[in-house]
Amino acid sequence: MNYMPGTASLIEDIDKKHLVLLRDGRTLIGFLRSIDQFANLVLHQTVERIHVGKKYGDIPRGIFVVRGENVVLLGEIDLEKESDTPLQQVSIEEILEEQRAEQQAKLEAEKLKVQALKDRGLSIPRADTLDEY
Amino acid sequence: MSGKLGDRKNAICTESHNEAIVLIGKSLEDCPLDEDEDAFQGLGEEDEEIDQFNDDTFGSGAVDDDWQEAHERLAELEEKLPSAVNEQTGNGERDEMDLLGDHEENLAERLSKMVIENELEDPAIMRAVQTRPVLQPQPGSLNSSIWDGSEVLRRIRGPLLAQEMPTVSVLEYALPQRPPQGPEDDRDLSERALPRRSTSPVIGSPPVRAVPIGTPPKQVAVPSFNQQPVQSCSIDFPPPETSSWKGRPMWKVLCPKPVHVRPPVPPRFPAPYGERAPPDQLCGVPNSSLLGHPFPPSVPPVLSPLQRAQLLGGAQLQPGRMSPSQFARVPGFVGSPLAAMNPKLLQGRVRQMLPPAPGFRAFFSAPPPATPPPPQQHPPGPGPHLQNLRSQAPMFRPDTTHLHPQHRRLLHQRQQQSRNQHRNLNGAGDRGGHRSSHQDHIRKDPYANLMLQREKDWVSKIQMMQLQSTDPYLDDFYYQNYFEKLEKLSAAEEVQGDGPKKERTKLITPQVAKLEHTYKPVQFEGSLGKLTVSSVNNPRKMIDAVVTSRSEDDETKEKQVRDKRRKTLFIIEKTYSLLLDVEDYERRYLLSLEDERPALMDERKHKICCMYDNLRGKLPGQERPSDDHFVQIMCIRKGKRMVARILPFLSTEQAADILMTTARNLPFLIKKDAQDEVLPCLLSPFSLLLYHLPPVTVASLLQQLMSLPQGTAAPAPSNPHLSTVLQSKFGLSLLLVVLSRGEDLQSSDPASESAQSNPWTEVMFVATRELLRIPQTGLAKPISIPTNLVSLFSRYVDRQKLNLLETKLQKEEKGESMDILVQPCSE
Repeated sequence: MNYMPGTASLIEDIDKKHLVLLRDGRTLIGFLRSIDQFANLVLHQTVERIHVGKKYGDIPRGIFVVRGENVVLLGEIDLEKESDTPLQQVSIEEILEEQRAEQQAKLEAEKLKVQALKDRGLSIPRADTLDEY
Repeated sequence: MSGKLGDRKNAICTESHNEAIVLIGKSLEDCPLDEDEDAFQGLGEEDEEIDQFNDDTFGSGAVDDDWQEAHERLAELEEKLPSAVNEQTGNGERDEMDLLGDHEENLAERLSKMVIENELEDPAIMRAVQTRPVLQPQPGSLNSSIWDGSEVLRRIRGPLLAQEMPTVSVLEYALPQRPPQGPEDDRDLSERALPRRSTSPVIGSPPVRAVPIGTPPKQVAVPSFNQQPVQSCSIDFPPPETSSWKGRPMWKVLCPKPVHVRPPVPPRFPAPYGERAPPDQLCGVPNSSLLGHPFPPSVPPVLSPLQRAQLLGGAQLQPGRMSPSQFARVPGFVGSPLAAMNPKLLQGRVRQMLPPAPGFRAFFSAPPPATPPPPQQHPPGPGPHLQNLRSQAPMFRPDTTHLHPQHRRLLHQRQQQSRNQHRNLNGAGDRGGHRSSHQDHIRKDPYANLMLQREKDWVSKIQMMQLQSTDPYLDDFYYQNYFEKLEKLSAAEEVQGDGPKKERTKLITPQVAKLEHTYKPVQFEGSLGKLTVSSVNNPRKMIDAVVTSRSEDDETKEKQVRDKRRKTLFIIEKTYSLLLDVEDYERRYLLSLEDERPALMDERKHKICCMYDNLRGKLPGQERPSDDHFVQIMCIRKGKRMVARILPFLSTEQAADILMTTARNLPFLIKKDAQDEVLPCLLSPFSLLLYHLPPVTVASLLQQLMSLPQGTAAPAPSNPHLSTVLQSKFGLSLLLVVLSRGEDLQSSDPASESAQSNPWTEVMFVATRELLRIPQTGLAKPISIPTNLVSLFSRYVDRQKLNLLETKLQKEEKGESMDILVQPCSE
């Protein structure tokens, strides 16, 4: 049954595996079980995937209910092509470690930059945002 | 809750261990505020700041209960087999429990034990393997009053104390038991496919299905969710989801609870007791993760309690660190898969497991392979991802689990292909292939259709409602236009070829008559006056914003400039709205009735006039004073684009006027356009216009364009106007178009051929002279070169000069189209 042709509707995506990108930067992969008019999503057998460089790690999370406004984008995952990825899967510990290292490096770089600017008498005003990135 | 408190208060009062408590107890009974100067008052004053209802401080908690003791007692109790339920030490607190009844008391106790704040210290988790969870009722801190909701207890059937299973946890007792259903589950599962409730012996939650999402179905049951190897390891005990039982209807409790998986590494999850059961011990998988979430635990129980005890026995289960003892248990009909299961993990143990114990529903799914499979794994996934399946579910395909993954995949593909061939692909063909394999998945997905058709319809109904509109062209312009274009395209294609017309289903949005809603603020009858409630329909004025206009004197020059620019922008916007309306008239004309049409036409004319006036700067009762207004508009990118769009609607004179003005001010405009580079968009409307212009106009236009000296005045030493024009792409192109048009006119009109005093001819002589004079400095590349330039120039110049012209013009050209000038002219 072709729901609402010519429009973007999530009804046809139900029970399919999706990748959901959230506003806070998280990537969730799970089966879309239910939606509503605000595009709130119910994800089943959800896995949070953390990407660092060419590696990624999956953390199983269970059932997620995502409020629609926090979704940046979502797309269906082709089950057959899913494993055709150049990325390498690693264990959770490893990916978390990598992520931590990456955050660390970023912080350091940021610090250096701020310091350099300060030395030159410039300053970047702090952006007061609600989002974390 | 209040009842309990009341009881407690009474208990306190009756006990009267402590005078203070008694006093407080009493003061709670009476209204403390009314207390007059008594001995109480002194206390009362202090007490005002103190929470008088705090049992732990003032109530029985402080007196009777020692939480430390209680905890120790609990710990002790875990080690021995629970004694009979009725052995309860008399205690004032126990009175409350009488309400619940014997059975329920026990349950309440057990349940209450789960509500320990720190789940990691949950003794039940720690010792669940060894002990029966029936414990002495503990007073005090484990306040079972939280379980007050009798509905919870109603749902809980009698405790399964009778079961011989030492390994069943608390939770399991608490959940309602459903007798194992036989083959009847088949139909159930295939439709709604609610996973059956199941429990695990250890953690009280449904089996963790270690099937990574994507594993291909081995049987009907398991959809291949993902092909990745599962990685990490131990399972956390899910926080006692009390709410998940309490309010839910029966069937919902059957939904498996997700198992929260955590890696056993300290950085994220501190090990509470320092030691952790290495996963190795339990499942032999150092690095397996349980991606999956409990997959439908629909299979009848797998392990007999004894077997399970053996498997888990001895494992020191840390709180919160459950050993992922997942064992897949594939019931009888799948014989061979056992062999396919990961030998490292299971072989030894699995063999123990046969045959399934019918009465027991909990089971675990097979742990993933011990070694992380190679990263590039083919979709079907490794064989060992075996799963639990629904034995009762109808088998749609033969058991292929014993096959090599590649083999299995090929087999499935072949099946799908044959399925596809039989399928009627009509228009949905591009998705057909994908869909068939997908439908396989869906068919086997036991969680499918959790969202009922009814609910889907409801959501789409809401979405459709949002699309209702009285004027879709206004509300949804781009959508409408896009689909119109598509339809035109398909209609055109259809006309050309008569292939099968592709059915493009179109969404028909309901058109609703516009209803005028006048908002009336809420009024209550009989009340005086009106409510001062502000809502979205009736907003209240929050800020008094007063507009003050500045006087002319105050402004500095900069401000004036800014203001002028703002005014120009404003005019552009207004004119643009008019333009959009005018462009829309065609459509409205088609839609309207006969009577309305004249009115529409008038409106349209009027708007066009307004537009023109806006462009040229309407000053009533005056000649067009200056080009300034127009030039200002033309300096702005949007203005130029707008003029290009307006030109087709203007009358010839008006348009010619615009063109002249543009030509007159071209160098200035070119300079201003350096950044935008939008002038070329004007070329095509100008060209179109030129074809309607009489020769005189063209001649004067040329004059303007090249800023040729009037009459017989001596030419100025240099012609910056012309050089600028020639250096700009637009300028040069325009010039060439004008020349070409002039030539066309000339050649097409035999009468003027001979006439020497043709204005055009005169101008041309001057023009060619100028062109020859101009230095060859970086001429622009024209947009298009009209083809009749040869004949044009050949009229006026001799061969020598023609060559000169040609070389000049050729300089900017890549070379091809200017070859026409190379041809010897017949002069």
